[in-house]
Amino acid sequence: MKHRKVYHGIWVVLMTIASLVMLTPTIMMFVTSFKTMEEIKSPVFHLIPEKFSLVNYIDALASGNWLLYFRNSLIITVSAVIFSLLFNSIAGYAFARLRFRGSKILFSLLMIGLMMPAQVTMLPTFLIMAKFPLAGGNNILGQGGTGLINTFVGLIIPLVSGSYGIFLCKQFYENFPRALDEAAEIDGAGKWRTYFQIYLPNSKAILATLALTKGVAVWNDYLWPLVMTNSDEHKTVQLALTMFKTETTIQWNQMMAAAVLIVLPMIILFLLAQKYFVQGIVTSGLK
Amino acid sequence: MSKPAKIKSKVKYDNCAYAMIIPAYFVFVVFILIPIGFVIYYSVTNFNLYSSPEFLGLENYLKLLRDEDFLISIKNTLFYTVFTLFPQLAIGLFFAIMLFRKSKLIPFFRAAFYLPNVMSMVCMSMVWLWIYDPTYGLFNMILKNFGFSLQQWLQDPKMAMPCVILMGIWKNCGYSMVIFLSGLSSIPSSLYEAASLDGANSIRKFLHITWPMLKPTTFFLLVTGIVNSFSVFEQINIMTNGGPLNRTTTIVHQIYRRGFLEFKMGYASAMSVVLLLFSIVITALVFKFGSGGQDVEVS
Repeated sequence: MKHRKVYHGIWVVLMTIASLVMLTPTIMMFVTSFKTMEEIKSPVFHLIPEKFSLVNYIDALASGNWLLYFRNSLIITVSAVIFSLLFNSIAGYAFARLRFRGSKILFSLLMIGLMMPAQVTMLPTFLIMAKFPLAGGNNILGQGGTGLINTFVGLIIPLVSGSYGIFLCKQFYENFPRALDEAAEIDGAGKWRTYFQIYLPNSKAILATLALTKGVAVWNDYLWPLVMTNSDEHKTVQLALTMFKTETTIQWNQMMAAAVLIVLPMIILFLLAQKYFVQGIVTSGLK
Repeated sequence: MSKPAKIKSKVKYDNCAYAMIIPAYFVFVVFILIPIGFVIYYSVTNFNLYSSPEFLGLENYLKLLRDEDFLISIKNTLFYTVFTLFPQLAIGLFFAIMLFRKSKLIPFFRAAFYLPNVMSMVCMSMVWLWIYDPTYGLFNMILKNFGFSLQQWLQDPKMAMPCVILMGIWKNCGYSMVIFLSGLSSIPSSLYEAASLDGANSIRKFLHITWPMLKPTTFFLLVTGIVNSFSVFEQINIMTNGGPLNRTTTIVHQIYRRGFLEFKMGYASAMSVVLLLFSIVITALVFKFGSGGQDVEVS
């Protein structure tokens, strides 16, 4: 018994140290966001800022059109999440429960998306966006305008279908009892009604997981907005943050303040919905 | 004669399925499948965004073989993948085993390890940029306090890549941990009880029960990890921009530079095809040798 207690004590100490090491960069981000530039530059290092002030946050937000950037990121994230949930879960249901010609081949093709880095198709996807017919001043052949570059549609569309999401939904729905479908059929419900009235209301767990995974990924995305936008009007928060990195002296305190504001929604989401974050990746691919 | 027809008529197809998959499938075809075709086509042309593409045959690929920057980027990407993925899996497994017990502190520890994974790479790159800053950064502050000589970190050609790797491990090991934890919880405890009865110590238990039972989990992490590491770009573009002396440039970074900054779409497409081939080959190899005869359900 005494042995056990000693072991437990060692375990607590070790894990606490490991946690603190892992948290150090995050803690330092918060701490630095409250410091003055003089304090950051001073040779003596303080863990706690000499005086807490929100002036960095005010200055950081005033350095650009941050309200717009946050609004843009929010629009893109929310729409990508809503559409991807709907599209992927209904496709997952079809692949899991319905019989149709070519379903195996169509599904295997989808899995290419899981095995391939998305960056492989970045160039042609960008060109398809730029040449999209009848959008952004383009004619029917896709010439003359800028297509879907610098539009929300262009930023959102490629994100709404995900091989990963369809795969997870299929796995999830395959575990539903067949009796559900049979009961629905006896009651004369078509496949659409079966999906919307039986499957969809019972998929809160998987939808919460997918929403969180997708939401975090889209909010944090950097490369696609970088490629797809070149104006301030559709800039996302991630792109805006890189503006603080200049050739001359970097305003570390303001940069950290902006970084805190960007990661805070994700941290809060994570702390509130930890269960779904953990549960979600648990189901991913592992039966 | 009529028998086969009868059987056929019994199979009822749900044709509404096509309508159900079409929204997702349309996007998949237009933005993933067709682009794969395009990228292969562009890779054999001199397409540059302004003039119409001319067929070049394999010229782009031959040029790639002589492109020092690209060859270095392949080397760097492989280096990054190996030295990020394996430590990240090892640390993740270690934390998972440490946290696989009952305690009120578990949620706190788990959150602390997993948190880096939900914060954006851009923000974390900025934080680590400061940590590595030669004059005001955290690491040099610590070194100075203990009287060691200061380092140039990201500006030092020898140190830059290890610095990027360290950050990569920090950011992703929590993810491996959570997946390993789920793998651990799916191992039936009766196996351990039986081993205890046979007098097995904890090292033998790990080698003969835990490790084999975790194979599908490890396999999953390996495949997804390879695909993710091969596409490393964000932290490179923000923290080092490929420098110093090209020591941190990666394949995707080269694609981005050639394609979107120099508009050599044909040439950058050839690079993309190489990246595609690399991912396919390595994923196939892992499938062939990694699954070790275990049933790993992927499709």
